[in-house]
Amino acid sequence: MKSSNYQQSLFLTRFNLKRDGLLILVWVLVLSLLMSAVAFKFNDLYGTKDAISSIVLTLKTPAMVSLFGAFTAKAPYTTADIFASEMMVFMALFMAIMNIYFAVRNTRGEESNGTVELIAAHAVGKQSPLLAATIELFLINLFMGCLFFLGIQISGMTGMSTIGNLLTGSGLAACGFLFGSSSLFMAQISDNPRGATMLSYLFLGVTYLIRMITDVKNADWTYLSPFGWVEKLSIYDQNNWLPVLFMLSLTTVLLLLTFYANRHRDVGAGLLTTRGGRKRATFLLSGPFTLVMRLDRLSLIAWILGLCVMGISYGSIFGTVGDILKANPMMGSLLGKNALNAASHLIVLKFAALLLIVFAVLATVPSMQTLLRINNDERKGWLEQIHAKAISRNHIFISYVAVALIMGTFTLLAAIFGMWLANAAVMKDPLTLTRLLRGFWGYLPALYVILGIGALLVGWLPKLQAIIWLLPIYGLISLYFGNLMNIPKWAQQITPYGWINQVPVNNVNWTNFGLLLLLALILFIVGFIGYQKRDLLEN
Amino acid sequence: MSEKVIAINHLQKKFGKFLALKDVTFEVKKGEVFGFIGPNGAGKSTTIRTLLGILRASGGTATIFGKDVWQDAVQIHKRLAYVPGDVYLWPNLTGGEIIDLFLKLNHQQHNARTDELIKQFELDPSKKTRTYSKGNRQKVALIAAFSTDADLYIFDEPTSGLDPLNEEIFQKQVLALKQDGKSILLSSHILSEVEHMCDRIGIIREGRLIETGTLNEMRHLTRTLITVQTQSSLPDLRNYNGIHDFKLAKDVINKASFSVDSDKMGAVMTLLAPLSITALQSTPPTLEDLFLRYYQNDEHGDDHHEI
Repeated sequence: MKSSNYQQSLFLTRFNLKRDGLLILVWVLVLSLLMSAVAFKFNDLYGTKDAISSIVLTLKTPAMVSLFGAFTAKAPYTTADIFASEMMVFMALFMAIMNIYFAVRNTRGEESNGTVELIAAHAVGKQSPLLAATIELFLINLFMGCLFFLGIQISGMTGMSTIGNLLTGSGLAACGFLFGSSSLFMAQISDNPRGATMLSYLFLGVTYLIRMITDVKNADWTYLSPFGWVEKLSIYDQNNWLPVLFMLSLTTVLLLLTFYANRHRDVGAGLLTTRGGRKRATFLLSGPFTLVMRLDRLSLIAWILGLCVMGISYGSIFGTVGDILKANPMMGSLLGKNALNAASHLIVLKFAALLLIVFAVLATVPSMQTLLRINNDERKGWLEQIHAKAISRNHIFISYVAVALIMGTFTLLAAIFGMWLANAAVMKDPLTLTRLLRGFWGYLPALYVILGIGALLVGWLPKLQAIIWLLPIYGLISLYFGNLMNIPKWAQQITPYGWINQVPVNNVNWTNFGLLLLLALILFIVGFIGYQKRDLLEN
Repeated sequence: MSEKVIAINHLQKKFGKFLALKDVTFEVKKGEVFGFIGPNGAGKSTTIRTLLGILRASGGTATIFGKDVWQDAVQIHKRLAYVPGDVYLWPNLTGGEIIDLFLKLNHQQHNARTDELIKQFELDPSKKTRTYSKGNRQKVALIAAFSTDADLYIFDEPTSGLDPLNEEIFQKQVLALKQDGKSILLSSHILSEVEHMCDRIGIIREGRLIETGTLNEMRHLTRTLITVQTQSSLPDLRNYNGIHDFKLAKDVINKASFSVDSDKMGAVMTLLAPLSITALQSTPPTLEDLFLRYYQNDEHGDDHHEI
């Protein structure tokens, strides 16, 4: 380790921070405001003993445990216990996503767009760009952690403690930095940003699912998953600092590996290298539609598999979720066997209805990405030559839209199918596929309407199209926490995700189905008119 | 031969308040190679993108094959091949796949000519374009364009990433197209490239087409820079017809440098020959010189201009 390897690292860090300032600010503000706003609201929501004891019962059900983590606090429960139990897993997930974003962008992303080469030609150390990116990540997480701490500290929530607040901030920051470091490592493994992001999410996904399943089956095993460590902090109860140590140790190991790998490779190279391919195009690559399909092939497969595995994981706990007797043995004597089955089905269906919101939002991600590519690919100059061919804008637009719809449809279907598959395997009296598919028919048009709004932006406001992401983010937060935080009905119904009425508990409202599809169609057409009339973006 | 393939009339293009194209008028006739030259940022690519229907004109008209470039883009593009100045390709496809895709998009097939071109340009078509250099990406676009059977070929600064060997292949291919009676629009900022290949030239500067004509018609615009040393005493040629900026060297006797109008070169050489030339250096006119002339003309009116 020669110091010359790290020359100018701090200068680069400052430069990076300046460059990313606005983005960092947006992420940090959104996350810390979310956290503090919830903390402020909690005294109203769960201020009374009754409110607390009723929510504790809910949080102890397997369904809620799978979504928010095991509720381990000891009685007497305080408002702060509820807060910690509802927020930690969720915030940790967002911290991980933010860290993956910045880690890939600032390492492999910079490398593949050639910036690293430019910088490396100056009097900077070989590993300075990597060190600068690492320091930047560290600072972002530190900043984030401080704001979390401060936000809760001034919220005056009943039952909180300074040490617990400090642990919340430190734990989330350490968790974020852990996933950021895993992503820095993945950026050494893959030789392109997309691959690095996929590997990072693979790691996050696997650790999240292990956490989810172990929480429901036996919470002691949750230690197996690095993601599960945030739960083990036992905030406001035991205030256990040991998991923070775990996180920092794993982070150190990951960083050592990252720097080792970085030292032993060329700029631009990765452990998994880009292989050669066909010399000739097959019939599967012969026009705009097949082209977009081909470009998104890997993403389509990965998302379908990912959501299917997620569906299977949640489906596999349906048995536990529906086990009323476990939570309340008295029920068995009160209800007959049939009534018991019906009640258990209802619980599972309600659980599935909540999960479907998550699935619908997740299915939005890859399909919206494909849709936004109409402009993003344009900006990269990839479409210029296509436009010079005998291909109308019509054809290009419809090709992207079609692939986006296919993406959304099949990822949503895969999640539900996975859920059914696992439920059929574990339940004595499983839910039928038709019943679960109500969720598919229910949420599909909502997904299409959201894509339609995306198409509108693509056509008319190409430079601002990224604001479409607010819809799924807000939709997820407003509906996921809808009942737990008493978010008013109108606020839950701002996004189209909130327009769907509790499928698969209820029947699909086919009138709504038709109307939403019509609305989506109109949105796509209006978007297309905008796209057809304007200048294309130039790189 | 006088059939117009491209006809542009007072074309204008605004980006917000910025007028990128102020007034562009020229035409490309059937079977000719038209050189479209100008410095960076003059509006070459904007003009071409408007011709391709990627940008919508703010004023004036532009037609290709007699059809409107915005309305009938698809009809026009069936008979057109295009290579952009900066070629960007999908990083996870191979060069070979993209060449085939481009051909298919014009309802054509990979043919023997394609293979021949791949060999000539020495491209490895089995590599993902992520691993290609700028020159290799350009080759992909060139191979696809040259193996497309079209009536009009548009090249926007096509050789900026090519080495001299590949540049020569490019020039040969363009000349071959010309022999087949195809029309070509070639934008460039390298005068020598244009000189080799083009029948007519249009010069664009700051969004305005300031001159069109054959190279011969433009000779008056080009001056060759001469530095000469003689044994006999060198007279003062300051006022000789066709000689400009005559300067005698201060430290060496009988040495001078000056510029000569290209069409007066013969006469000046005849004048110098009897003086026993010991050294003669001539620098061909560059595009820069050409533009310098225009700057001068803009500022001082038409000085020394003989037509």
